Amino acid sequence: MGSEVLAASLDEKAVELLESYCFDCHDTASQKGNLNMEELLKKDSFDGALMFENLLTGKMPPADKDQPDAEEKRELLQWLAGRQGKHVGKSFRRISRNEFVYSLNDLLGTDLDLAGQIPEDRGTNNFDSNRKIQLSREMLESYFSVADEILNQAFPDEGFPLEKSWVTNKVRDSHETYRIYHRPYQEGTLFSWTRANNGNSYSFFYDNFEPPVAGWYELTFEAAKVADFEDDMTLQVYAGKYYYADDRPQLQRLLGVISLENREVETRTIRAYLNPGENVSVHCFSRHNFRQQNPQQGIYIKQLKARGPVVDSWPPSSYKKIFEGLKIEAEQRKVQKASGFQTELKRIGGALTVSSFQKGMEKEKIQDGSNMTFWHTRFSPTVATPPHYVIFENPNRAVIEGLSFATWSGGNGNGLVKAYEIYFSDDGRTWGEKVMGGALDVRLANEQPIVFPKETRSRFIKFKVTDSVQLDGKSIASIGKLDVIADVPEQRKVSKVTVASDSPDDLENVLRTFAEKALSSKLSNEKLAPYFRAGLANLKKSGDFVQATKLGLKAILCSPGFLMAPGEHANPSYARAADLARSLWLSVPDDELLLLAAGDKLEGEVLQIQIQRMLKEQRSERMIRSFSDQWLNLQGLSKVTPSLKLYPLYDDLLNHYFPVETRKYLQHLVQENLPARNLIDSDFTFLNQRLAWHYGIEGVTGQNIRKVNFSDEVPRGGLLTMGSVLKVTTDGFDTSPILRGAWISKNIVGTPLSPPPESVPALEPEHGEAETLKEQIDQHKSNKTCYACHKSIDPYGFALESFDASGEWRERYKIKQAHKSTFQYSPKGYFKVGVPVDASGEIGADKFKNIFGLKKVLLSNERKIAYNFAKKFFEYARGGKPKLEQRLDLWDFLGEAEENVRLKNIVTEVLISALNEAKE
Amino acid sequence: MSNFIRREFLKFGAALPLAMRSLNLRAATSVKAPPKRVIFICNSLGFYEPNFFPKERGDLTSSRYLKEMAVREKMTVFQNFFHPGMETSNHDSEKSFLTGAFSPEATNFTNTISLDQILAREMGGDTRFPYLSFSIYDRGWGCSWNDRGVAIPPMHDERQIFERLFGEEDLSAKRKQIENDQQIVQSLYRDMEQIKKGGGDASKIDSYRAVISELEAQLKHEEFWLKTKKPEVLNTLSDDQEFAFSTKVRNLFELSKVAFQTDSTRVITLSLDWIYGAINVPGATGGWHTLSHHGGKADALNKLSRVESDIVKHLNQFLSELDQIEEGKRSLLDHTTVVIGSNFGDSSNHTCNNLPTIVAGGGYRHQAHTVLEKPTPLCNLYLELLHKHNVDLGSFGSSEKNLGLLRG
Repeated sequence: MGSEVLAASLDEKAVELLESYCFDCHDTASQKGNLNMEELLKKDSFDGALMFENLLTGKMPPADKDQPDAEEKRELLQWLAGRQGKHVGKSFRRISRNEFVYSLNDLLGTDLDLAGQIPEDRGTNNFDSNRKIQLSREMLESYFSVADEILNQAFPDEGFPLEKSWVTNKVRDSHETYRIYHRPYQEGTLFSWTRANNGNSYSFFYDNFEPPVAGWYELTFEAAKVADFEDDMTLQVYAGKYYYADDRPQLQRLLGVISLENREVETRTIRAYLNPGENVSVHCFSRHNFRQQNPQQGIYIKQLKARGPVVDSWPPSSYKKIFEGLKIEAEQRKVQKASGFQTELKRIGGALTVSSFQKGMEKEKIQDGSNMTFWHTRFSPTVATPPHYVIFENPNRAVIEGLSFATWSGGNGNGLVKAYEIYFSDDGRTWGEKVMGGALDVRLANEQPIVFPKETRSRFIKFKVTDSVQLDGKSIASIGKLDVIADVPEQRKVSKVTVASDSPDDLENVLRTFAEKALSSKLSNEKLAPYFRAGLANLKKSGDFVQATKLGLKAILCSPGFLMAPGEHANPSYARAADLARSLWLSVPDDELLLLAAGDKLEGEVLQIQIQRMLKEQRSERMIRSFSDQWLNLQGLSKVTPSLKLYPLYDDLLNHYFPVETRKYLQHLVQENLPARNLIDSDFTFLNQRLAWHYGIEGVTGQNIRKVNFSDEVPRGGLLTMGSVLKVTTDGFDTSPILRGAWISKNIVGTPLSPPPESVPALEPEHGEAETLKEQIDQHKSNKTCYACHKSIDPYGFALESFDASGEWRERYKIKQAHKSTFQYSPKGYFKVGVPVDASGEIGADKFKNIFGLKKVLLSNERKIAYNFAKKFFEYARGGKPKLEQRLDLWDFLGEAEENVRLKNIVTEVLISALNEAKE
Repeated sequence: MSNFIRREFLKFGAALPLAMRSLNLRAATSVKAPPKRVIFICNSLGFYEPNFFPKERGDLTSSRYLKEMAVREKMTVFQNFFHPGMETSNHDSEKSFLTGAFSPEATNFTNTISLDQILAREMGGDTRFPYLSFSIYDRGWGCSWNDRGVAIPPMHDERQIFERLFGEEDLSAKRKQIENDQQIVQSLYRDMEQIKKGGGDASKIDSYRAVISELEAQLKHEEFWLKTKKPEVLNTLSDDQEFAFSTKVRNLFELSKVAFQTDSTRVITLSLDWIYGAINVPGATGGWHTLSHHGGKADALNKLSRVESDIVKHLNQFLSELDQIEEGKRSLLDHTTVVIGSNFGDSSNHTCNNLPTIVAGGGYRHQAHTVLEKPTPLCNLYLELLHKHNVDLGSFGSSEKNLGLLRG
């Protein structure tokens, strides 16, 4: 039989089947559910995917209609698959920004999180691996510049900055409304938990440490819990810009979490990448001691030791990796202790005089780095007569750009400077014209820079007070801090690392070794030539071996063979190695894979074993993260902030751990090869103290995430009831069963959704009092057009109504209440309790009362859940949705044996089928 | 662009070092007409129609949003535009706002070149940035699409944008960088030859070559501009995080203004992309997207109006500031065509008819309020804008003809 004849006969049979099982409802005359199959199937552009899915998973024909037998069903499915035709899309894709950055880090031995410097590249696609995504010139430019940045961190032209160490127990000043929540204690400070008035996790800043250059730093805290309760206390370490008294402090960048369980001082280290201008701050959290003034309980921090920038070894592993076998010459690198606090004035060897002073409030007080102590003009026994001023002397004629001013904090505000003028002089006697003048903010004690119109080398600079707060009518002035802003570049000592070679042969070898790793191939001289030529030209010109290498490396990292997948591979095993490394590690193959590939041995059992090994490696966490972030939409998690009026206990620590739970859980399912039903329900999840508190699960102490088992009455377990999922499916205020239902339908059940038909007002339910939410949503029922789809969307969401927008269990809705004037954070929130939640619903013939019931309904068809997972992983790993033919294969695979619905088996099957297909 | 014209431009160019500029300005401005600029702004969740369109025909003061506008005599509100093939849509219609490409939600959708990119070819060669594209957050796409229908990732971080436009550069480092990259581009060309010879996937190489040659042109452009110092500009970006959303919108308008004023670019797109989570503007906090599905409810509408009023407030400020900047005998606004619109007519219903559209500035004789007789492709206006800027492509997107809606 020729293929055309076959096709024709298939068509005939298919039409027969369609007529018996589908067209009763979905022909031109009936068009049930808005669907005119008869008409659609005539169009080539109609891919039949929805029909296929509904038929495959048994959703259609409906249970109360005639069912095709297994053979008929198969014929129809095959006909639909065949009709969809051969793949016509692109056969290649660009590598994503995450893949690019991970690969570079692995290749160069760096650890830089620079994906954020490349624009978001997923667009509206489900996965960033989609073959439809194309490079733009702007995108490529950002790849170029990130390559530069990573190469320059690995091989800095200017050498490696000196490592410094700091020790500090000095907490920077903060506003009087916050500073009452810590006090001096033993050798350091005892902190209570407080949140800012806007609800942010208020953090206290440490002084005397500022990273001089960007790099990795080790922050070592010596700290203890000072309390008798059982819970650990949580030390959250942040980086950000110091603020003094801003009423709405900004959220800082969370660097790490230290969990403290006992009263003895423990030493804990956090490794963090810090930038100049960032300060380190701490937030000490325990639900038991909110806002204890002059605290008796809390965290005692004896001191903070910092060191950095640290390198992983000396010479750095980047050199050892790239210049293996060559002589690497590294200057000695010492650790230098940072001197204590020093004002800029002192650094330039300057001095200052004041117009007058009160005893105990001398001029030194504006140079001691604290806003709590201050200089004050004399008021006793006699009040000093104006003008009040401070004169700086600059004996070494340093370049001074301005002054840095801060009011003193606390007290009644008397004497705070409101306005000033600046004068210069060369002899301290004759003063020129007024250089500048201005007003100062007396409310904030933040440093207020006074920038001169032009930098100066004048020997004398006068800061003259022209107005001040005078509560008792006397002319007085007081200042917390005053310093010069000097431009004295700190002599940054560096240690240089060089490679002792100028040989083109060496260069060629270095580039070849790198290229073979990066491109997963064996390279002939011709293939290496373009990169080598670029490097060689530079070597001849600059005479600098490392620089020449950098150029060659960049040429490789920006080549089509690296940026476009699949690349050019010397044999099929190399191609497989590259493919697997990209899918499972978002990176390039390691030495073991390359060795196997060199002998073209990556197939059959060897391949199976390698996949198992790769899944066990830590790098596979990247795959879990990337896959779950995209599959479950968790990328948007931080864009949604639950309302603190309704969910006052929500905080950034919770937000930090939400996705960690999901990732750990999925990783566990895959690594332990557990069945797909665990995606829906299980008697365990991964928790720590913070998450367990939120979920109402007792007996979890400490912030390390671990597997926690629980009894059947606990509604958690499975993806649907995770805080991450529950939070990301809301806008932070109200929950919407429609959106949550759509999320489950699309991501878990795998029913593709069509956009709503034209001119149908959308429903966005509100949790008011007047009508219940259900009544609002049931409007979908009264409209047939809506109901056709929404009957299989909304009900899933109903079951999740038992969880609020922060993922917490609720029996009743909350109704937001107004607060007076500006929002002031209160752990009680601003709400009253509304109507009880009704979490019941029905899907098809299945009725459920609550989330437990819904999970049962979903679990009744585990193959379907496994099938959806398989399709999602396929789409992630292969850069596009499976064709219908491939879906049929997946469905068959899942039905073949019971263990095939286990997640590691599914992942392995998807990967291997891809490799086999590529071979054909 | 010939060197001659470029030199002519440089006489005018505000991008010259300050000292040189002051020498040349007096001599040159009287001769050389100020350049034309365009900016396209897409408010991706539309505007609530009853608040946006004038209630009384022709009278902008009868629009709740527009009555506050300071430059009402320099703007025209159009009613009854739509994009054919996009009567209703999920949010994908945003992709076609400036391209007019059909069926953006189709699985096999490929976009087409956006209006700003065509104009940038004509108007962009003389400035340091042939075009600029801004958006509210890192989403990777906004209004601008290149001639292959690929999204041009917009810039969204105000400080980075400022740095890029006006930040001081280490010129010798930059020169070295460009030279190195030019070498790399050459090595990539050789590499691609090699791969093709070796029987590699030709379509893959071709698609990469297209990007590389654009990069090569860009490097050349940047090399040329190394000779010219960036304009010195005072950083006036706001840092107010209490209303982060509002601040962002304000800052992006501010950057657009300064970019035009310093002649750093002549073509800008600004995508006010929708955000699912809650935003904060004076008087309202809420999920912007949720509010846009107001369903006619008073509370939601009240909050939504505050969000939209806030956007209009910043637009108003932008327009009036452009109008206060003198350029030759007229104002910067008179030399800048400002188009504000949306892909949604009514985002509560996800419908795309009667798209809210304003054209402001550009030196046209504005009509305040033009109600089109019947639903008209927005691309007709786009086509007319192309003509106004000396580009004649015959058609653009779904355009039928130039309707002559903008006079003068």
